[in-house]
Amino acid sequence: MRLDRLLLRAAAFLLLALSAGASEKLRVVTTLPDLADIVRQVGGARVDVNALVKGTENQHAVVAKPSMLIALSRADVFVQIGLSLESSWVPGLLENARNPRIAPGKPGFVNGSDGWPALDVPASLSRQGGDLHPHGNPHFNLSPRAGRHLAARILAALVANDPAGRSEYEAAHARYALALDAAEARWAKAAERLRGVAVATYHQEFDYLARECGLVIVGTVELKPGIPPTPAHVIGLVDAMRVRGARLVLTGAWSNTRQVAQVAEQAQGRVVELPHAVTNAQGSDTWIGMMDQIHTKLLEALDSLPRGP
Amino acid sequence: MPRSNSLPVFVFTACACSTFSLHAQGSPFQTPGMPLVKQPVAGQGDGKADGQSAGQSTRFSSEFNPAISFALDGLLTHADFDGDEDGFELELRSGEIGINAWVDPRAWAYGIVVFAEDEVALEEGAVHFTGLGGHRVLRAGRFFVDFGKQMQAHEHELRTIERPAVLREYLGAELAGDGVQFDDWHSLGDETVLRYSIGVFHSLLGEVEEEAGSPFAVDSELKELDELGYTARLTAFTEVGDAGTLQLGASARLIPDFGFELDNGASAEGLDNSVLGLDLTYGWADETNTRRFTAGLEWLFDAGDNGAAVNDSGTPLDPSDDTIDTFDETVNGYYGYVDYAWNQQQSAGIQHSWLELPEPGEPTLSELDVYYTHNLSEFGRLRLGLTFVDAESGADGMIAALQYTNVIGAHGHGVNF
Repeated sequence: MRLDRLLLRAAAFLLLALSAGASEKLRVVTTLPDLADIVRQVGGARVDVNALVKGTENQHAVVAKPSMLIALSRADVFVQIGLSLESSWVPGLLENARNPRIAPGKPGFVNGSDGWPALDVPASLSRQGGDLHPHGNPHFNLSPRAGRHLAARILAALVANDPAGRSEYEAAHARYALALDAAEARWAKAAERLRGVAVATYHQEFDYLARECGLVIVGTVELKPGIPPTPAHVIGLVDAMRVRGARLVLTGAWSNTRQVAQVAEQAQGRVVELPHAVTNAQGSDTWIGMMDQIHTKLLEALDSLPRGP
Repeated sequence: MPRSNSLPVFVFTACACSTFSLHAQGSPFQTPGMPLVKQPVAGQGDGKADGQSAGQSTRFSSEFNPAISFALDGLLTHADFDGDEDGFELELRSGEIGINAWVDPRAWAYGIVVFAEDEVALEEGAVHFTGLGGHRVLRAGRFFVDFGKQMQAHEHELRTIERPAVLREYLGAELAGDGVQFDDWHSLGDETVLRYSIGVFHSLLGEVEEEAGSPFAVDSELKELDELGYTARLTAFTEVGDAGTLQLGASARLIPDFGFELDNGASAEGLDNSVLGLDLTYGWADETNTRRFTAGLEWLFDAGDNGAAVNDSGTPLDPSDDTIDTFDETVNGYYGYVDYAWNQQQSAGIQHSWLELPEPGEPTLSELDVYYTHNLSEFGRLRLGLTFVDAESGADGMIAALQYTNVIGAHGHGVNF
């Protein structure tokens, strides 16, 4: 083969390789499916995203799987909620995945809660308070305002890790912001009916939702975060619910236990199982859809209660 | 076989102490000729008036102290064996202090000091060097060896109150070695991980309960390269369906040179032993991750010189002329279990262990464990266990145990999957 032909072929191969590299998607791994959905909304076709856990799982105690380790070892960007929500399983996975692109402190490591004003920040750190999160309640993905905060964090992360896609990311983010405007208006309208309604919860995962909707949480079924109830605590909670007229017990799929049903029965109320993260189920397969479903379920539960004292 | 050679130990200890103590405590003046003391590094001081605080180079700064934990493991047991004394025992089985911290960007280290049976021991003290690139880790120091699914874990972390009988008999109640271990993993597709490790250790004799007057295993203090102990493990971890995982592993522990001794000075030298193990573990969790099922099986083969007994053929009842008989029959055994957690707090399981003992006639021993575990919180655990022992060459019986374990602080060991 002549030298000029060889050089031509080598150049063509190089060009092909470079163009293939340029078209490769940004590999994003998130902990919760909520984060994956928002990455998908903002990242569009430029990202390939997957979530490590299912939306039905107890996010505090996830069992690591091989696919998680492999996904993290290949990721360009990793997004977590933070506030110690994933502290029992993510650090070990990151340590074993040994991916320098997503090591804490690197541009590929994104902590979704950065800049978020946390509730329930413990005044003192002691296990007397149960399984406390030192920096506050991590379940802010259930706040109606979380979508906007997370979308901004994710936009910044995608631009930082893929500057060439800036205009696409910003355009997609703008479209998502419009969808959020409309959704937030719907939720604000629903909140008008929910304001002042007294409820109990199993775990402190609906505190952000309650604050935005005006729900009044009279107590939790758990004695303390992560600590199961004692009989005396259940009696006290039921008394508090009766006194304050709370007849709904909010729970997630992972915490819908026999104890929750007992509390609801004794308080002559009902259990309301709400999605606590985005799932594969129709209607709650996007973050906006999940929040719509939460508000709808709350209103339906309210309507189902008998009127009167 | 030399039993002690203290010079290298002394030199090493002296060097380590002089270096570390000076670095840890510093001096008001660093005069020429003194060992170099690390100077304050920008950003690491506390910014106070003396300007000397630099993490580990001063006496009183605690800014870079490691994470510290304390684990307590207490037992109330009642033993009932044929022809033996029955009764209750209340004991603090162990108190364990652990420290963990990064040494620098490429290495983290940990230490585990255990108080048990009125003795204090450094059970683990190792550094994990992660700066080799990829997923490679080089671990050096003293640590629990990578054999099967349970030998890396301390007793208070097990699913059952005791380690399975076959592991206790063939490897020891605990198996820590002083040495180095190389560890790496690779992905096979999107859902399978293949991990392997190779370790070289000075001594790999496990912790066994010594009986008065019986031979005890000993190791040389100075060894040739081919007399060092070796471990190896290869394991594949994969997903089965949407909710299950399956792990398959093979492990080996090789001791090319060790001996037995008696209190009267009698010895048997130049012995070797190999233990091979195969393990299979299946795990399943429901979609909420609160109900979990685990089943596991580990089969071990113990070959070479694997036991010893006193030969009292000399003067009857005079131990001074006793000698040692060693056993070298290849024996095997297994343990298998199923464990089910029906909510976040409660789980129960059953485990069976059976093994051939390395004694003439290869008598068998089996243990059946039934246990219930209640996690009072993330850091407190209560366990009720019943162990039924069936021994061909000893007493049959039953042990009932109530175990309380708690951990305070950030607790962790250098365990790998």
